[in-house]
Amino acid sequence: MFLKNGNNGNDDTIVVENISKHFKIPHEKKRTVFESVVGVFKGKNGYEEFWALRDVSFTIKRGDTIGIIGENGSGKSTLLKIIAGVLYPDSGKIKVNGNIAPFLELGVGFQSELTARDNVYLYGAIMGISKKEITKRYDDIFEFAELKRFENMKLKNFSSGMTMRLAFSTAIYTNSDIFLIDEVLAVGDESFQKKCSEKFDEFKKDEKTIILVSHALGSVKKICKKAILLSDGKIASEGECGKVIDDYHKLLDRG
Amino acid sequence: MYIFKYKELINNLVISDLKTKYSSSILGFAWSMLNPLLMMIVLYAVFNNVFKSNQNNYAFYLLIGMTTWRFFANSTTMAIYSIVGKANLVTKIYIPREILTMSVVISALVSSLLEFVVLIAILAVFGIVTSFKVLIFPLLYVFYFPIVYGVSLMLASLYVYFRDLNHIWEVLVQIGFFLSPIVYPMSTIPEEYKFYYMLNPITRIIEMYRDILLYGTIPKITDFGLVLVFGIFLSTFGSIIFRKLSRRFAEEI
Repeated sequence: MFLKNGNNGNDDTIVVENISKHFKIPHEKKRTVFESVVGVFKGKNGYEEFWALRDVSFTIKRGDTIGIIGENGSGKSTLLKIIAGVLYPDSGKIKVNGNIAPFLELGVGFQSELTARDNVYLYGAIMGISKKEITKRYDDIFEFAELKRFENMKLKNFSSGMTMRLAFSTAIYTNSDIFLIDEVLAVGDESFQKKCSEKFDEFKKDEKTIILVSHALGSVKKICKKAILLSDGKIASEGECGKVIDDYHKLLDRG
Repeated sequence: MYIFKYKELINNLVISDLKTKYSSSILGFAWSMLNPLLMMIVLYAVFNNVFKSNQNNYAFYLLIGMTTWRFFANSTTMAIYSIVGKANLVTKIYIPREILTMSVVISALVSSLLEFVVLIAILAVFGIVTSFKVLIFPLLYVFYFPIVYGVSLMLASLYVYFRDLNHIWEVLVQIGFFLSPIVYPMSTIPEEYKFYYMLNPITRIIEMYRDILLYGTIPKITDFGLVLVFGIFLSTFGSIIFRKLSRRFAEEI
């Protein structure tokens, strides 16, 4: 308790133990009481099973920067959503030490009728951050987003790039310990991207944990020290980033 | 607890919900008051002849019953959409999902309070309400809220899986309206059915509101106790179901 953000002898930020997750895809989607009752009498309950993750285990330490790579449908996003708490695993355990800033999708909950200022507070509230905390970082957020001039403008008048910059900046200034990022780095123009990658370097120095899911192997290589390669819901390779990317290329050549 | 960590989000959701409800400000609110008043006039015209002898102040008897019932009916019929209607906040980010249902119920509570304030003003004009004792009526919500919240949690989570539940629930609410002592006096219920009749917790709550607002008495302590037991049971049961079903919200929504 006393060493909430300090090193209390346990560097494990995220411990994933034997996680499996499958989705049931029914042949006929029963979505009503009526259809379920009729379905019982007809005896039709068929569904396809799709295993997104099978017996996945790993440990992420504080300050680690990890890339999760793999083909489409290999379970990357499912894994990220389970870490974020959006999805629950069927079996296995997951332990998370610290606050998570999820960047699964930027600007969740933004309302176009509200001003940029109100949206920043709303977005903060969605991430469980108090008004006071946001007020403290308010100027930083708008400065980073380069939107200070537009703080009183309604969001519906923003371009999509501006909206994304605003969301990204708010999320970055949440002072979280763990950043979950799902392919959102392509935000803004080149100079904004440069600022973002500088910010990530800063995070690395501050021993923040970053988990990045991406197909852009270049940015994975740039940001992450380690990587995990998923294939068919299983860990095919893990370790030093360059090595895992090589394994990924081998996997692609084979397949 | 999550309620404190996310109190700002609850605030935000409640306010934006109320804003849409009363979108044209004062006129929106007027409409929400006009609805029960017009309903009352219709029911009064129909039922006054049937129950004339039993009940003095039948119009106010009706109005208090209806206003009390409206909190339950409005809250549950809107809370049923609280998860599905905010799919974004379920599938794309983590928040304790109970918050979505809770803020709808809180918003309905605010509306209900406003309706009662207007109702009490009407009662005062007609000389029914004479003492400041009526001002303890908000206390009743402490006992009423857990019941409504518990039912809302069940409905909101089940609706994710069964998308025709809203139609079924609308019918059940209609039935519940007539299974509660809103348009008729309790004395019409035959003694042998009384026990089953009183299993509906809203019945007791409606009577408690009438005790305070119509008869100027304080409800019996046993009434408070029994309603509290119902509230604890329903909100616990609702939370358990909700938590269980919420594990697969993001997939099913």
